[in-house]
Amino acid sequence: MNKTEITTALSRKGLGEQSWWVEQWMELINSYRYKKRLERAWGYAREGNVTSIRFEGRRVHARVQGTEEKPYKVKLWLDVLDDEDWNYVIDALAKKAKWSAQLLAGVMPKDIEDAFATTGKRLFPFNLQEVKSECSCPDQANPCKHISAIYFLMGDQFKEDPFILFQLRGKDRNTLLSDLVEKRLLLNQDNKEATKNSKNTSSIRNYAYQNNIMSSPDLWWKYKSALDDELVVITPSTEETTGPSIAGALPFASNPKFPESQNTFIRDLVSYSQVQAQKAMLNAMAIKT
Amino acid sequence: MSLLHATWLTQSEDLPSEKSPVLFLWADTWQMVNPKKPESSPSPHPYTLSSEELRIWLEKKNILPKESINRTACLTLPSKSSLQTKTTHNRKNSEGDQEWGILPLLAGETSPNNYELWPWKINGLAISPWEVSQWLTQLPLSLKDADFSEEILWWTHLQRWSLSLIANGLWLPQIELSKEESKHHRARWVPLLNQEDERKRLEEFIQKMPLVVMCAIPWRNKNNKSSNNESESKNPSASPNPIASSLFRQDRKVVINVLKEIIDAQLREDFEKQTKDLDPLLSAWQTALGSANGYIDLCDEDIKRLEKATSNWKEALYPNLKDAKTCFELVPPIEDDTLWTLHFLLQAESNPALTISADKVWEADSNSVEIGEIKVTHPSEILLEGLGRALKIFPAIERGLETPTPQVMQLSPAEAFVFIKTASQQLRDNGIGVILPKSLSKGVSSRLGITIKAELKERSNGAKPGENLDWSWDLRIGGIDLTLQELQILGKKKSPLINHKGTWIELRPNDLKNVEKFLCNPPHLNLDEALTLTSTQGNSLLKLPVHQFTPGPRLKSVLEQYHQQQSPEPIADPEGFHGQLRPYQQRGLGWLTFLYYFHQGACLADDMGLGKTIQLLAFIQQLKNQGELKKPLLLIAPTSVLTNWKREAITFTPGLSLIEHYGANRANTVEKLKKSLQEIDICITSYSLACRDNELFKNINWQGVVIDEAQAIKNSNAKQSIAIREISKGLKHDPLRIALTGTPIENRISELWALMNFLNPKVLGEENFFNQRYKLPIEHYGDISSLKDLKARVGPFILRRLKTDKSIISDLPNKIELNEWVSLSKEQESLYKKTVETNLKEIASSPLNQRHGKTLGLLTRLKQICNHPALNLKETEINNNFLERSSKLQRLNQILEEVFETNDRALLFTQFTEWGHLLQSYLMKEWQVEVPFLHGGSSKIQRQEMIDRFQHDPRGPKLFLLSLKAGGLGLNLTRANHVFHIDRWWNPAVENQATDRAYRIGQTKSVIVHKFITTGSIEEKINQMIFEKSQLAENIVGSGENWLGKLSVDELSELVVLDNKE
Repeated sequence: MNKTEITTALSRKGLGEQSWWVEQWMELINSYRYKKRLERAWGYAREGNVTSIRFEGRRVHARVQGTEEKPYKVKLWLDVLDDEDWNYVIDALAKKAKWSAQLLAGVMPKDIEDAFATTGKRLFPFNLQEVKSECSCPDQANPCKHISAIYFLMGDQFKEDPFILFQLRGKDRNTLLSDLVEKRLLLNQDNKEATKNSKNTSSIRNYAYQNNIMSSPDLWWKYKSALDDELVVITPSTEETTGPSIAGALPFASNPKFPESQNTFIRDLVSYSQVQAQKAMLNAMAIKT
Repeated sequence: MSLLHATWLTQSEDLPSEKSPVLFLWADTWQMVNPKKPESSPSPHPYTLSSEELRIWLEKKNILPKESINRTACLTLPSKSSLQTKTTHNRKNSEGDQEWGILPLLAGETSPNNYELWPWKINGLAISPWEVSQWLTQLPLSLKDADFSEEILWWTHLQRWSLSLIANGLWLPQIELSKEESKHHRARWVPLLNQEDERKRLEEFIQKMPLVVMCAIPWRNKNNKSSNNESESKNPSASPNPIASSLFRQDRKVVINVLKEIIDAQLREDFEKQTKDLDPLLSAWQTALGSANGYIDLCDEDIKRLEKATSNWKEALYPNLKDAKTCFELVPPIEDDTLWTLHFLLQAESNPALTISADKVWEADSNSVEIGEIKVTHPSEILLEGLGRALKIFPAIERGLETPTPQVMQLSPAEAFVFIKTASQQLRDNGIGVILPKSLSKGVSSRLGITIKAELKERSNGAKPGENLDWSWDLRIGGIDLTLQELQILGKKKSPLINHKGTWIELRPNDLKNVEKFLCNPPHLNLDEALTLTSTQGNSLLKLPVHQFTPGPRLKSVLEQYHQQQSPEPIADPEGFHGQLRPYQQRGLGWLTFLYYFHQGACLADDMGLGKTIQLLAFIQQLKNQGELKKPLLLIAPTSVLTNWKREAITFTPGLSLIEHYGANRANTVEKLKKSLQEIDICITSYSLACRDNELFKNINWQGVVIDEAQAIKNSNAKQSIAIREISKGLKHDPLRIALTGTPIENRISELWALMNFLNPKVLGEENFFNQRYKLPIEHYGDISSLKDLKARVGPFILRRLKTDKSIISDLPNKIELNEWVSLSKEQESLYKKTVETNLKEIASSPLNQRHGKTLGLLTRLKQICNHPALNLKETEINNNFLERSSKLQRLNQILEEVFETNDRALLFTQFTEWGHLLQSYLMKEWQVEVPFLHGGSSKIQRQEMIDRFQHDPRGPKLFLLSLKAGGLGLNLTRANHVFHIDRWWNPAVENQATDRAYRIGQTKSVIVHKFITTGSIEEKINQMIFEKSQLAENIVGSGENWLGKLSVDELSELVVLDNKE
């Protein structure tokens, strides 16, 4: 995913080429019948009318600046899974290491719904009716344009953290992970004895290490190494391997008021890295003899 | 002499509001102190300089940081405890007389068997991370200055690394959330160690870190609230070691944090907010990144969102360093199978050799698992997270992750190839370990190359570098031999990964081409090339890596002698050599002979006292015996040792004819010189004459040139160096070129070029090339690979054996007595003659009862003149040409250079206190070192302090002057292994007693005794008498110098008149 794709998408279609789970969310929104209202909502989202958005427990709390002076309060939530359902989901998730692996690496597994299938529930809402919401505005329609604006921004939030959907369904990241560890352990319980034995021997080793320090004061003073070969001559790397250039876009919901903001920020960093590289190289050459 | 230290303080307590880390500079100097009685709060470190003293000292050394503040810190240091007898106490023998005390150990101090850790209060200077980066950048990267402790080098290397990281752009900005409620959150620049090489480097820095770098503990003021701390309040008086346990947390976090601070400081300095049109969050972040303290001004909600986004941003490249990482091990198919196996492992970050398999991870409970000695928490999370990231790089892994606790999966040949060729490197750069089969791992050793078998041609003795060898070769790839047919068959398979006899190898098209070229035009191999191929690892022949070089027995012997992998073949003492060579000297003779037949110049660089002179004389004698010596040899030496050469030549090789080209009557035309050289084997001359009479020497057809004390030509631009090189270049017909030196020449990079240019000009090439290729990288950056290469190049031509070598030490006596023959300078000579003349007359005309006293007075004056004219002239200050005025002093200076270079220590005895004072001020000025002088006027306290320093201070003086009377008895000075008797007391018993200050129980080295004798003077004559054990000499032993007073005028005259025969 790179930064240019994001910007063109923002102006064209909303959020454009995205992680699949963000796209899926956008499709959900676009299935809404009242296109006019959706466009207004998009405008709200883009122009920064949403003044805050928070994930508190299983709910999303947001404030949207509408026509009135005081911002409207918006709440959104999904149906949560009960403990029994979660048990089944955890059971299923633990059976494929891939799912845990991807979630930990910040990726929503494509076949994640398979893990929920046994419960008959879903992680993603199937339609917008499943997304429950309240708004303090006088508009009777639900979703109103304020709520819809939050829909858009939630997609961005999902990009930052795939665990948010789990949180909205009633399991935050930490609980989910520790439940998974427990489940895996159950699957592996037979072999526990072996681990305990290895523990004892290593504490003896640690003790020996301490003694080693105690017996040689040279460890306090000795450093005989020559400079690492690679550090003898310092040259900037020729490839595009610098941190700012490989890090890509910030996984950070862009503020629609400043569409170019992230690009500019990263571009500045990249050029700063070149300036600093040059400077560091000159510093490294100016060694006193 | 002070030693500069640097310790990191994680918290600065000066400004409680800003607890920023600083580097704490401090210095210690050895001195006499009494052990400290432990108290409830740390005692002041008794050896350290005050902040102000340190500032002045650094200023003088021109390395005072631009901005620094005075600081007191508390450091945990290794210390020794001792019981001390109280001196102030009146009652004796009661238990209270003994008091327990502690003292900190200094760097390099010989450690007692047990040491303890104690906190010490230390004064010094604190500098900020930004100042640290600037200050360290200007310091040398190798240990040159003896005032720097070794940990300073660690620091300069760390700073160098930070420059390299910045040069490679390996950093990202981040948000650092404050741990304490009241504190600000900060915007930070952090290093990005996503590349495997950088992480390895981090582990090296952690492993090699001297503990003193991180030995600070929080400083507890008495009124401070932290003095309510548990450990102190519990039992303040009896908490002897409150900090010992807190020091063993050798955590990579500590080093990472230091690196972070230094990088942050450097990047923060120049960063300016560049654009206005930014999202307010990013804008606040950008502002904070360029501000001095990094405080970021945003509400909590925003800052947490930003923090999460930025840390995810960075973790996608490389997660925060943990103790272990996910690792894949690829195992080739077994036998007929075609599928490869990929094992999932957890690998210790600090030691890639330590891994555990995934099943151990799944077995472990969620808390921790041990890999070797390393404890890893949440292992399953680390493994899974790594697998998740690996999926993005190498999607084929997905198949292997369908089970709850996967350990292994299989790959098709195509997948395995992708894994090896591209994915493995990408994985590594994303912080995931990869282990490939050895035959497939990168590097030359697995490439297609050749092995060579070679032997000297029949009848050749391996003496001509250009001679061709009998040789054969085989192909080898991935450590497996391969016939040509096999290669052709394998080459036809289209697959890049090939199983050859059970080993998987990668066949590269380029390597195949190189083999083809090689086959079309198989080269000759000569001895010279064989020497190069075997000199360093990783050589290649016509672009093909040479994996192995197997010489036949005769070639092997030549190669090993050449590379000094085997000791040279000893050669028995030649006929006509009057003496007995020790076994290692016979090997030295063998080595000189070996290189002579190779037409290569040789530098014999044996330690002082091992007998370089007689090895050379024996060698020349041998050449003469074999009829190889057809023309004269030119031997160039410093003026002060010419006499010594003549003496030694007469003693050991009387059959060699020798002339001296020296003095006012020397030959002044080519013709005269040629004439004087008829039937001559060796012509000796001084460096200054080699320079002045250069034109004469260049016109003589020499057999060769020998230079003694070859460090004389170390400065390649000096006149005399150029003159000598010119003589050397003019030599014809495979001349003999030998250099003798006692200094560790191979370690003095800048001096090597001049030496090698004299010996074998082709070895190091032109000076400019040498400076660029070797001198600059090695001296400025301490580049170890250039140094290795340089040593491999010059190694064959330098033979250096140390007194302490195991093979030598058994051949050596424990005490070696050397006569240092010196002549008189012009001033000394005329003064000597004048003094003899006037005084003899006076004595002859004196009444008998006064004669005795006058005779002794004359002898004393003559001895003084032999030392230095200044003594006789009652001068009390050293003047400009002080060195030139005394040959003895010149010789002493030369020997001292070798002593200092080899880190030996020496005692110097004189019977003249005034001479001691003059020597002291001269030597201190000349060598810029401290030279203590113990004489009759030193107080008891001064004496003890000088002795203690010499014996115990790790960086104490290397030379100790003593007057014979005050220092000749009773002292224990075994740290010295050289003893100089600069002037003589004509009583061997007294001299031996003085020598025994060093040569006694506790001495671990051979002691070398240098006895100075001025030729032709009274010194030589009395020495001769003692040597011949004449009647007179026996009297001497009994009665000191008194007998001399009773000599008749004629006897006296014979004794004192300067003998000018030589």
